[in-house]
Amino acid sequence: MRILMIEDDATAAGYAAKGLSECGHVCDVLADGTDGLFQATRENYDVVVVDRMLPGLDGLSMVRALRAAGIKTPVLFLTAVGGIDDRVEGLEAGGDDYLTKPFAFAELLARLNALARRPPVQVVKTVLVVADLELDLMARVARRGGQIIDLLPKEFTLLEVLMRNEGRVVTRTMLLERVWDFHFDPKTSVVETHVSRLRAKIDKPFDQALLHTVKSAGYSLHAPR
Amino acid sequence: MRPGDLIRQSSFRLALMLTLFIITILLLAGGVGFGLMHAQLSGRQDARVMEMFRSLQQAMTAGDQRDLVEAVTSRIAASPDLASIYRLEDQSGQVLATNIPGLDPPKGWSTVPADLAGVTTNYPYRVFTGTSGAYTVSVGLTDADLDDLRELMAGALGWFALVALIAALGIGVVLATRMNQRLAVVDRVMNRVAHGDLAARLALSGRGDDLDNIATMINGALARLEGVVEAMRQVSADIAHDLRTPLNRLRIRIEVAATKAEAGQPIADDLVAALTETDQINETFSALLRIAQIEAGSRRSKFVTLELAGILRNVAEVYGEVAEDAGQVLTLGPLEAGWISGDVELLTQMFANLIENAIRHCPAGAAITCGLVETSGQVRFTIADTGPGIPEAERENVWRRLYRLEKSRTSPGSGLGLSLVRAVADLHQATLTLRDTDAANRIGLTVEIAFPVHPLA
Repeated sequence: MRILMIEDDATAAGYAAKGLSECGHVCDVLADGTDGLFQATRENYDVVVVDRMLPGLDGLSMVRALRAAGIKTPVLFLTAVGGIDDRVEGLEAGGDDYLTKPFAFAELLARLNALARRPPVQVVKTVLVVADLELDLMARVARRGGQIIDLLPKEFTLLEVLMRNEGRVVTRTMLLERVWDFHFDPKTSVVETHVSRLRAKIDKPFDQALLHTVKSAGYSLHAPR
Repeated sequence: MRPGDLIRQSSFRLALMLTLFIITILLLAGGVGFGLMHAQLSGRQDARVMEMFRSLQQAMTAGDQRDLVEAVTSRIAASPDLASIYRLEDQSGQVLATNIPGLDPPKGWSTVPADLAGVTTNYPYRVFTGTSGAYTVSVGLTDADLDDLRELMAGALGWFALVALIAALGIGVVLATRMNQRLAVVDRVMNRVAHGDLAARLALSGRGDDLDNIATMINGALARLEGVVEAMRQVSADIAHDLRTPLNRLRIRIEVAATKAEAGQPIADDLVAALTETDQINETFSALLRIAQIEAGSRRSKFVTLELAGILRNVAEVYGEVAEDAGQVLTLGPLEAGWISGDVELLTQMFANLIENAIRHCPAGAAITCGLVETSGQVRFTIADTGPGIPEAERENVWRRLYRLEKSRTSPGSGLGLSLVRAVADLHQATLTLRDTDAANRIGLTVEIAFPVHPLA
């Protein structure tokens, strides 16, 4: 995918750009907010990564201007001040996701993947299917190989998030935010516990595992490869 | 104090303004009083003049011209000091008798100045001129009494104004000086504060006046400022201590890795360890930042009316299985709705921190119970565990940032969890209490947080 990164820290930007091109993405890096706005309006990108604090034009104003110009490219905010209000501010300005510095590259990659593949117009899917695993969102029923699996409400949500991101890595932090609405880092193994319970229900009784742990990144749900 | 400073003093200006106001009022009142008195006295004098005129008229009616001339002449003789003046004229314009030769007043009432009357007194005369048969008679009385009254009033009011002005100036100077002295104390204290002595406080006069009120407010603000600065100092010291230790460890690891790399040995493990160390440092730092933001209080503007039970149920549901994996039991006790005004995100983190704290510090087999009870305007949240508890002497310390009990210093954790709980509780104006779960056997820890109930709940 084509990524535009507007970040004035050359080391961080260079490192991220290098990592992204190694994963097969094209990444343009700019250091100035005004240039960034110009570039984002002129070219067609899949996703834009914007630092909150930029020379020229700050990130928030840049994204506001971008949205005012009618450009709907998904935007991921980066910030060094991991404030509680900053996240809300960023989302209100028209950002789609938020990442606090310092971050792991795997986290950035996972979030960019999730953002870029999000269809511009949400196609309403009522049944999610991965291999022989089925999740009926209307009836709130999970089935594998035709066999009904009993899930608790939060387990259902957890599985839904994983299935919507089929084949992509979902990080621990993304799960905390999307499943439990936790915007902080728990000191206990909350995610691990719940994932292992879910795994015991959807994978253990069956031959093939669908829910995979991606080392030092997160989890990914996909058919056996 | 220089005169220029004096006029700039608000108390002095106030005293001066008040005096001018009072003097104006008094002059007005004096003027009105004088006018009334003057009107009364002139009325009386005119009546006397008229009486004298009528008695002469009667003399005329009773006799003839000779009687009239005689009556006038005898009255002139009775007033050698010219207190009253007379003039009698016949129809041909011949003056028959007068004690003021140049006197020729018009008909009716008139006021004749003393010099015109050819008399060297200071007072004018009030004169009535009328006809009596074929004669014209003028009768006048000196205005001396009224004039004295006028002078007396003017003198009295003038003196009064002068005395009042001097007194006001004196009082103004005294007040201004005293005020200046008290303000100079404030000035000195604020100067000391500005130079870093945050323990300086204003002395109260004990009179409970406006200055005392201001002093009390300033002292309150100074106390809060001192508290904040002290807390900052504490944090800086804690950061120096608790962040430098892991930073030092990180440095050593990188050094070791560099040496190994030079020798061609694998260093992947060292790098992973360094990464973990970095994450830990970062986590401590974000937690400190978050607490500072909460304590700044700006979140209060985003408060909503919420039900604590819903948040607690949600958090307990998340941690139920975590506790189970640790061999503990997390249960919800009595759970009343608990409507308060607050911040969902922060309260969620607060409950999560408290439950995690219990899970991490309690051994397997422990029971953790959360409850929510409403009593008399308060919503009381309690979390009770059967773990090792906290010794009474340590209970005040655990709320401090980065503070960790000696025995738990080796287990993972930043020492900021409870500080955050406290910051969130303070933000919600809730009170925190720590006690033994089983006081008799000194077992366990119970944390109680009492929130003020939402006024509309």
